[in-house]
Amino acid sequence: MTTAIPESSYSVDVVERSANRMVLSMGPQHPSTHGVLQIITEIEGEIVTKASPEIGYLHTGIEKSAENLFWSQASTVIERMDYLSPLTNALCYYLAVEKLLGIDGEIPPRAQQVRVLLCELSRIASHCVWLGTGGIDLGALTGFFYCFDLRERILDLFEASGGARMHPNYIRVGGLGRDLPSGFLEKLDGVIAMYGPRMRDVRRLLQKNPILQDRMIDVGIIAADDALAWSLTGPTLRATGIPYDVRRAFPYGGYEAYDFDVITRTEGDSYARFLVRLDEMEQSMRIVRQVRDALKPGPIAIDDTKVMPPPKETIALSMEALIHHFKIMTEGFRVPPGDVYQAVEGPRGELGYYVVSDGGNRPYRVRTRPPSLYNLQALKGLAPGNLIADLVVIIGSLDPVFGEVDR
Amino acid sequence: MPSSQTPPAGATALDPTAVRPDIADARIHRVPAAELRATLERLKGEGFGMLLDVGGADYPGRELARFDVVYHLLRIGRTATTLAEVGAPDRVRVLCAVGEADPVLPTVTDLWPSADWAEREVYDLFGVRFDGHPDLRRIQMPDDWQGYPLRKDYPLRGPALERTPRPSFALKSNVAAGTPASGKTAAALQRQIAQARGNSSFAPGSVPAAAATPAQLAQQPVNLKTEDTKS
Amino acid sequence: MALGSGGDFLLTTVDSVARWAQSSSVWPLTMGLACCAIEMMTATAPEYDIARLGSEVFRASPRQADLMIVSGRVAQKMGPIVKRLYDQMADPKWVISMGACASSGGVFDNYAIVQGVDTIIPVDVYVPGCPPTPDGLLYAVNLIQQQIKQGGRGGILARA
Repeated sequence: MTTAIPESSYSVDVVERSANRMVLSMGPQHPSTHGVLQIITEIEGEIVTKASPEIGYLHTGIEKSAENLFWSQASTVIERMDYLSPLTNALCYYLAVEKLLGIDGEIPPRAQQVRVLLCELSRIASHCVWLGTGGIDLGALTGFFYCFDLRERILDLFEASGGARMHPNYIRVGGLGRDLPSGFLEKLDGVIAMYGPRMRDVRRLLQKNPILQDRMIDVGIIAADDALAWSLTGPTLRATGIPYDVRRAFPYGGYEAYDFDVITRTEGDSYARFLVRLDEMEQSMRIVRQVRDALKPGPIAIDDTKVMPPPKETIALSMEALIHHFKIMTEGFRVPPGDVYQAVEGPRGELGYYVVSDGGNRPYRVRTRPPSLYNLQALKGLAPGNLIADLVVIIGSLDPVFGEVDR
Repeated sequence: MPSSQTPPAGATALDPTAVRPDIADARIHRVPAAELRATLERLKGEGFGMLLDVGGADYPGRELARFDVVYHLLRIGRTATTLAEVGAPDRVRVLCAVGEADPVLPTVTDLWPSADWAEREVYDLFGVRFDGHPDLRRIQMPDDWQGYPLRKDYPLRGPALERTPRPSFALKSNVAAGTPASGKTAAALQRQIAQARGNSSFAPGSVPAAAATPAQLAQQPVNLKTEDTKS
Repeated sequence: MALGSGGDFLLTTVDSVARWAQSSSVWPLTMGLACCAIEMMTATAPEYDIARLGSEVFRASPRQADLMIVSGRVAQKMGPIVKRLYDQMADPKWVISMGACASSGGVFDNYAIVQGVDTIIPVDVYVPGCPPTPDGLLYAVNLIQQQIKQGGRGGILARA
């Protein structure tokens, strides 16, 4: 294997080399690029005159892998795209498949509630990572420990319900894989109780911190028009003043039933994005509390044994259950032909899946609309004129996840 | 169970995009390549100011041209400050088919700068070129990669030349093969067993004769002191 | 320990002290690639705290690191980079292949992922899991420490 990076991967032409000007490759291994990102920067001293992000260092061929797996197996690879909030990926994919199957109106309320609960907890966990690592980029290490401790309690909930801390693969077509275990609600209450004081501590550490404000205010300002031209979504877009949130604009999965605010700011700089995400965590916890109060016992998946395996206990008792289970596990189920675009509000923005079915038991095409890909492209326009240190702040405030960017 | 050794045949005579299931996810337009720019410019004029995504799909068997390039557009208010002023957002999906003989489409990077990387990805993974793109080169695969991976006739595991060889594990590590996971070398473990059984002389590598039954071994006290590092 | 003459005794003591020092302060390189990187970061967080094993800091520069934890899937573009970083590390160096993707390609048996980072660099410890829990990573660091104490100097002997 060659060890050289081919020259053609540089899209910057070095015309002259003055004493202060140079081409610097930041990454793909770098502590502050939040993953495998290479930014080929042209710098004059400390000031960036041109930044050319190079991606593809985590290209996994997930979309091709998904075409070779059954519909319900494809979610195992799809969950690994946005690895900070895996259930969001799975939910979006399964909502698309349910639409193609025509069963999207029949998902039981408890399943919808638990899906919403876990997705909002995913959002909080993802923002914890963003907040912790964003602080580390600026040298604020204590916030990292506080945030990751909160994230641990949330990962405990994922492990209790789905079996794994990350990538629990808990959601299925038609509902959930299994019901919440006993003791889950007590654990959830513990997380809800812990959240308030913990976030108060984190805000006290970071929000009014003069160093943080100095480094973030007026850095990486995005105007609303540019945000639309660059296809930004999520907190990055809402920090420019456009209140677009997929949960409000195109409600899905039961979000209509819950009260929450769409947080927007108008300044468009990194500090605005910081505040938007902090307040978004509060709104997510607000939704979590509402779901907690609304949860009632009930079925956790639709009754249709053509797509949803029957409960394991019935296999020993009923021949039909055994046959359905066997067929679903060995052949998968067939989804009627057609194509659909389904979007959800992920922690980074509008995560969309364009799913195409040819009537078979495998996805024909799963095209992801990755919010981080488009959010990261804005770096080309935001970087020039900023210091290298500001570049780090900007990347942190855009919050990219490279599993999603590269897929 | 699906096996990655034999990926399923991807060709389908069916055109899934022609089957319109009863889903209200977007307004859908299918346009020929010649009308693509005009359609997109018109839609942008109608307020679809955000290009959500440009994606590709490969339909090798269908009558319509082989590749589909799918543009997802979104209309939302630009100057609104409250949700009420934004109004109901709107989606549109524009599908454009290109044949495999000469897969070229006009670029839309001048309409929406965000199409830059998305079009590069469609080029990289499907081979569809975009006329007028400022920097059309591979984005996900290395620059010298041959082939377009997401095409249906591209093997899942890649070309045989590129497949990385399965390693010979014994050669790759300086820890001797068969080392128990505890980290102690095999010899040290044997020595510990011999000590537990009361053997005073022990030749490394040899199995102690007259093996005691497991029940007898269980009776004997085992020396659990950590082995010294000179073993 | 009294195996040879007094001179051997002195050298083996120095050797054992050196190994104890090396094993007690294994500093990893920040080689976070994908989901395993998040669990690696969690291993530095208070619940698991890799610092108590001696990995107080993760060095960003390969010149200053002893241990490369390949945490995540290695894409075709990233393969040469991983090799280059491994070459840039100073001897003695160890490699933990964290997670199923780094060990063998994991769930991604396809064109885009290097099927095991041990096809590029010698690996000392493999950690199964997708992703492994941070406990698994801590145990892997424990195994590296045991290897160091036994005189292992990383994949050096495997490299011609």
